[in-house]
Amino acid sequence: MKVSKNELKASLHKAFEGLGFHSGDYHNAADMVIWLETHGFYGFDRLLAALSYLNTTAPVHADLSQDDGYNFVLDGKGTSILLCGSEAVDLLRAASKADSGAGLELINCYNRTFIIQRLVKAAESNVACVAYWRQLDYCVKVSVEAGDFLPEYKTFSLIEEFDTQSLRIFSGPSVGIIENQFKQYLKFGSLIDTYESVKMEDCYRNSLEHGVEIDEALWKTLDDLVARVLVESTELSRAGAGD
Amino acid sequence: MRPASQVMQLDRLGSFHQTRLSFMRTLVRRMVTENWQISTPIFDLDDQGYGTVVYQVEAKYGTFSYVLFSHYLDPECRNDRVIADQWDLTMALCEGTVDAEQLEYLRDNVPKQEAGRVDSRVMVLSRANRSARTFEYVVNELTNGRQPNIDVIAEVGYLYRTTAAYGSGKLGMADWEKVWTKHRDFARPFAAEMFTCYILRHFSMEQADYLASKRAPKIAVKLDESIKRYIGIGNSTGLGMAPFLINHPLLINQWVEMRETALARVVAASESGLQKETLVRLDLGAKRVIQHLSEIVTGDERQHKSNLTVQKELHLLRLWLEEAGPELASNQFVWGTLIEYAEQHWHVETQEVINTLLIELYPELVDELEERMWVEECYDVTPEMSVSDMISVIEDKYDWALAIDFSKQESSGVFWYRSEEKMEPRLGQTDIDLGMEKEMPLGIGRRVRDCYDQMCSYNLAQPNQNVAHFIIKNPTRSGIVARMQTMAKSHYGDIRENLLHTDVLPIHLLRCKLSFFGVSKFDPRSRLWVRNTMFQGAPLIDDFGKPLCDDWQFPIKPIFTAG
Repeated sequence: MKVSKNELKASLHKAFEGLGFHSGDYHNAADMVIWLETHGFYGFDRLLAALSYLNTTAPVHADLSQDDGYNFVLDGKGTSILLCGSEAVDLLRAASKADSGAGLELINCYNRTFIIQRLVKAAESNVACVAYWRQLDYCVKVSVEAGDFLPEYKTFSLIEEFDTQSLRIFSGPSVGIIENQFKQYLKFGSLIDTYESVKMEDCYRNSLEHGVEIDEALWKTLDDLVARVLVESTELSRAGAGD
Repeated sequence: MRPASQVMQLDRLGSFHQTRLSFMRTLVRRMVTENWQISTPIFDLDDQGYGTVVYQVEAKYGTFSYVLFSHYLDPECRNDRVIADQWDLTMALCEGTVDAEQLEYLRDNVPKQEAGRVDSRVMVLSRANRSARTFEYVVNELTNGRQPNIDVIAEVGYLYRTTAAYGSGKLGMADWEKVWTKHRDFARPFAAEMFTCYILRHFSMEQADYLASKRAPKIAVKLDESIKRYIGIGNSTGLGMAPFLINHPLLINQWVEMRETALARVVAASESGLQKETLVRLDLGAKRVIQHLSEIVTGDERQHKSNLTVQKELHLLRLWLEEAGPELASNQFVWGTLIEYAEQHWHVETQEVINTLLIELYPELVDELEERMWVEECYDVTPEMSVSDMISVIEDKYDWALAIDFSKQESSGVFWYRSEEKMEPRLGQTDIDLGMEKEMPLGIGRRVRDCYDQMCSYNLAQPNQNVAHFIIKNPTRSGIVARMQTMAKSHYGDIRENLLHTDVLPIHLLRCKLSFFGVSKFDPRSRLWVRNTMFQGAPLIDDFGKPLCDDWQFPIKPIFTAG
């Protein structure tokens, strides 16, 4: 079935609210899912993976375990990027200066691809970001230039052992400055694939024109989560709407 | 411009009237001056007026189809509430033309409204119910060769009332982003929704004429044009609209800011001198409002008293214009002085009527603002802001919230929740009604206070930290922090009211939004819902392309002698 972006956003807000997310968290999480899905990053598949965890526990947020003002380590404690990605990127945005960047390692977290939307959002506020993580037997690198609306997404072969559930993010005034300042961390093997920004744009335009395709079972799952925030209707409660 | 502390008080927002910038006014200006063409490729009604009608709309930039289904409805089932599931009419506004296959799809889904699905070719979905008081009466009169009594029309104001007009991507429809990027004709807030109600008005009169001609082909007459212009579309608006205002503070700020910009321009213009003709137009405007208010029938005591007060005070304004008018044009009188006088001596609703009338006098200064009524609703944390600076921002911009004493029981006497019945927003009594644990986060004042207290404690324990660090420690506050930081950059900010107070009047929220839509004849049915009239007095589609008489605000009874 097809749904609109706005309809999807309203449903995701309430569904995440039904999972115990607070305002702010459910806005950010919905934005991440929608951005990935409408730009060709399989947001719904990743959401399904996230729900299998989020549905089993109250929301868990990351702890700041190291902080020297420019380099941070956040412990995700096994949570989803949907719940800790915004805080991680906001820490970096706050630490970035006009001529130098900051770095953050987010350990013990899941659903890392969702971070792309937060990096794009940071770029809107004129902060460039570079992030990378290990995915199966390859490495994903995402770069967003300050002021840009779309990221550069590339995959590389692995040349060092990464923790399978961690993520490194660097921020700064431009991608060039970040790559120079943090070059010791930004070493990758051979290029495997590039997901062109023109394809992201096409995907977005198509979803805007024709709606977003969603599996009916997932839509039903969201409906069931939405039901958690609804209150039983009674004759008395109808009076609370004007009767 | 007037300060936020004055303008954003809920009782003032709830006293707003439509202006030249209201969406119905701007839509009508556009349709008439651009000479939109409305044809009827399908008019397939039976003798009872039931069936299918398709209007094809040739606007300046595109073609659209308005698909309407007219159904038999048992009067016992006629219900204006969101929870209704049957209506006399159901409609969809679609992009482009509609082929047979799409029409069948619409026929299967549009009558179901929320229980159906449409696709992204549809921009608006709506429904309407007949007025039990006027529809049959008007058809009978026409059938018998008579025009309806204008006093009967005046009491109600419409033949049909709409109970919802959904757009912005609901139920599978086109996203607002698609509408404003692809369809310039409707690239203003609620333009497509207002258009749907406007064509409903056209249909309501066409159907009445049609039924009369079917019942008595030789005797029946058609509705007189002056009566037609005086017939609007009824509207019932309930609590469902209230959360919209709280959840779209940037948009509401934008609307208010444009309205206040218009007023400020008008005041500034008067500093260059007032023309006698301008004073005469103000007097005529006041006279018209007095008549308009005197013709409103409302059972709401508070609104009735307010209407009487406004009439009395506008009489005083007219007397003053009569006495002082000749001198005003020569003695450098400025509108700011009148506004100040009204604020000191007259009812808040009179003040806002006068502001509306002043804005009306200067279309050349105001009308271009209609292109600036939209803004993207997007909040962002400013993470680098120090916590101590953030505390100062809250104390400066949200002083109204910090002034609320939440230790008093009445300050949290109600809560807002969504019912499982069509997710209808409802108001519950704290500690009495079910559902408090599922409260909607509409109590902005209380959320601000809670965050402020937590931030002050944090700042004492860990001075010199920034907002990003505060959120890491207090992640549940990220939403209200983003909202406060974003709204602090806007001119008017949040609506300054505790929506959790026992005595809160949500009807003010509804009226505020409806004034920006451009409705008239507010008739509150309780503190939770209001009836009103849309497009009453507006030009007809036969007027498109003719010189525009943009003076249909505050509609008054036409002078008509039934022949």
